Amino acid sequence: MNPVLEIDALSVTFCGKQAVHAVDRVSFSLGGGEILALVGETGCGKSVIAHAVMGLLPGEAQVSGRIVFKGRDLLALSERERSAMRGKDCAIVFQDPSRALNPVHRIGRQIAEPVLIHGAGSREEAHRRAAALLERMGLSPPGNYLPLYPCQSSGGMNQRFLIAASTILDPSLVIADEPTKGLDPGRVREVEDELVRLTGGGRTALLLITHDLAVARRIADRIAVMYAGEIVELAENDAFFDRPSHPYSRGLLQSLPEHGFVPIPGSSPSPVSPPPGCRFQARCRDGKAVCGGQHPDLVSAADGRMVRCWQCR
Amino acid sequence: MRAMDALKSTNRGAMALLAVFLCMAAFPSLIAPYGPSERSMPYQAPGPEHILGTTNMGNDILSELIYGARISLLVGFASALLATGIGLAVGLTAGYFRGALDEVLMAFTDVVLIIPKIPLIIILAAFLRPGVGILILVLGALSWESIARVVRSKTLQVRETGFVMSARCMGFPPLRIMASDIVPNIIHVVLPKFMLATAAAMISEASLSFLGLGDPSMESWGAMVSSAFTKGGFIREMWWWYLPPGICITLCVLSVAAIGFAFEEGEGTTVRVE
Amino acid sequence: MSLSADRLARAYRNGFLPGSRRTVFRDLSLTIRPGETFGLMGNSGAGKSTLGRVIAGLEPPTAGRVCFHGRDTALMNRSEYRAFRRSVQVMFQDPSAAFNPKKTIGTSYMEVLDLIGTPRPAQKAVIAGILESVGLSGELLGRYPHQISGGQSQRLALGRILLLDPEYIVLDEPTSALDVSVQAQILHLLKELQSERGIGYLFISHDEAVVRFMASRVGRIEDGRLVIEGEA
Repeated sequence: MNPVLEIDALSVTFCGKQAVHAVDRVSFSLGGGEILALVGETGCGKSVIAHAVMGLLPGEAQVSGRIVFKGRDLLALSERERSAMRGKDCAIVFQDPSRALNPVHRIGRQIAEPVLIHGAGSREEAHRRAAALLERMGLSPPGNYLPLYPCQSSGGMNQRFLIAASTILDPSLVIADEPTKGLDPGRVREVEDELVRLTGGGRTALLLITHDLAVARRIADRIAVMYAGEIVELAENDAFFDRPSHPYSRGLLQSLPEHGFVPIPGSSPSPVSPPPGCRFQARCRDGKAVCGGQHPDLVSAADGRMVRCWQCR
Repeated sequence: MRAMDALKSTNRGAMALLAVFLCMAAFPSLIAPYGPSERSMPYQAPGPEHILGTTNMGNDILSELIYGARISLLVGFASALLATGIGLAVGLTAGYFRGALDEVLMAFTDVVLIIPKIPLIIILAAFLRPGVGILILVLGALSWESIARVVRSKTLQVRETGFVMSARCMGFPPLRIMASDIVPNIIHVVLPKFMLATAAAMISEASLSFLGLGDPSMESWGAMVSSAFTKGGFIREMWWWYLPPGICITLCVLSVAAIGFAFEEGEGTTVRVE
Repeated sequence: MSLSADRLARAYRNGFLPGSRRTVFRDLSLTIRPGETFGLMGNSGAGKSTLGRVIAGLEPPTAGRVCFHGRDTALMNRSEYRAFRRSVQVMFQDPSAAFNPKKTIGTSYMEVLDLIGTPRPAQKAVIAGILESVGLSGELLGRYPHQISGGQSQRLALGRILLLDPEYIVLDEPTSALDVSVQAQILHLLKELQSERGIGYLFISHDEAVVRFMASRVGRIEDGRLVIEGEA
């Protein structure tokens, strides 16, 4: 089966006073029904990838590489074609629903809006679809929820409404950018269930962007770890959490509460002038001479995972 | 992007225009072809001697125009400065201390807000001895309330940020927190307000002078239009007498307001890249 | 020598009608002893941050008292209050708002030393010492707040507080906005500083794992009441 989304050597550079290399030759593919979690720390470039796929980058961003969505290279399309696709065939769920939802309109109208914008049905049809969607999400009777305003429901509920609004047109690709940030633990679970349900049909692919490894562990099929603009490890969920290979992945897992908050020393390198060799070398416990001199490639290891490290070969 | 460029070029145009007016106000004797008291034949049409002709008193209209810039700009900027000062003080105090003080100050602000400005100014100007100083005082004292409101709401926001809370926690005195932590972070909303207040004051000055309530000893642009109307310029169809000061008022107000709007726009478009 | 809250309550006026009030918490008592960490949990909106602010004296309580060294802070004279003001500090959640964006970090540091009367020539050495203890280099002092990362910003905010040599610090979600690996660094730094300097912490977080890692005693605010574990 063809993948829904295939990203090949995607690089994004922001040209300001200094060129900032936000994303550097990132490649991965995503099939229908699959959840790929893109994890990493602030500034590692994970949100930039989401924005590049959606075509939402600002004008000073230089994008190279290929983003193939259902056989079409998105970077070769005109803005009009991309805008017709946005929200219809590929959708994005932003963090912070209190800002993404319009406080002066009712939930029902906001969920139904994409149907009207993309001319996919009449007003009645749109509302019928919104009601049916909420029913499928287990929010019944939908009549209780459609007339609410965003301020009348919790952050977690609003995030679910936002997911509903993003997915009412049944897109093939959903990008969720930190969908659980700032929610209380109980609410996080609700949103997770919603995301899993979305991909349950086997058609929709989900690109989950998160810094919360616990969320990624619970719902993702594969994990891609980003560090300083690059993917440093790409592995199946179990393989990754049981046996992380890259020293950065190991450090990241060690700093989780269940492993006693063991920190990684130092901080990420500057995206303006990344070091020539391995970008993690300065903070790595088992760095050797070769690590500082030559830049490692992302290569396949024995169990199918991909790792960017000289020591893991 | 194109909209931004357009904005930048209007901004540059406005700056250049205002610079011209400022030069006129600062060094009128260098630019004007005649001094304010030099007289020749009255009611002359534009010609090589007098580019814009002469008035009923035989004064050179172009020179009068150049000397007039000083009053317009002085009244505009000085009263806006006064209004901004009062507005900042009231808004900061109300927003920072909140509580009863806030309610009293804001109630007072609302009262000032509903006073009909121009009629009051006309009455005051008619009773008090007309003069530039009085005009500045009256205009300034009556146009601070919108600044106070904006400053208060911004102050309420900024006082909840981490650095202001820490400063309070560390025991910095309130005045020092306001001056060094709050004002620098709200000045970007005050600046456009200041420019718009300047523009409004310039229009008020012109209107009052036109009504004959300005300073009789100084020939401002409004007063020029007024005398063109009352001293026979209009009847003789001397458009070169009453049109130029009108155009000057319009352009000067426009340039000041455009700069104000550009400040306002600039605030919305500053993007922080992380 | 403890910092304690005694039957504390805080309510806000709700709307314009007189008498309609929203109670955040009431009848709340707790004591923090020197060198120990009290962990405070609760859902968002439960009133954790409000409690932190009231204990630090940034907001007045509606009822009850905050006592520092056994003295009611509301009844303190000028010099006692000044000592309290310096000895109890708060560190906030948002690293991007920890410093005045218009000042360099160095300026923000120096104004604190000016406030407590450290002579200018001695300031450089004091600042260098503090930066070393929070694990940063002096090169950051010339930068503006938007030029530093979230983790560095929280370290610097902590350093600025340490200039006052406080006895207690209210830590209001100090790591919630940070990445996991940076969070781990900051938590360890906080523990280290506590054992070196004997500072008492009120550690506020919605993240139970983080609170349990940091605190020797733990309480949770539920429906406006504080439930302290093991003291039911």
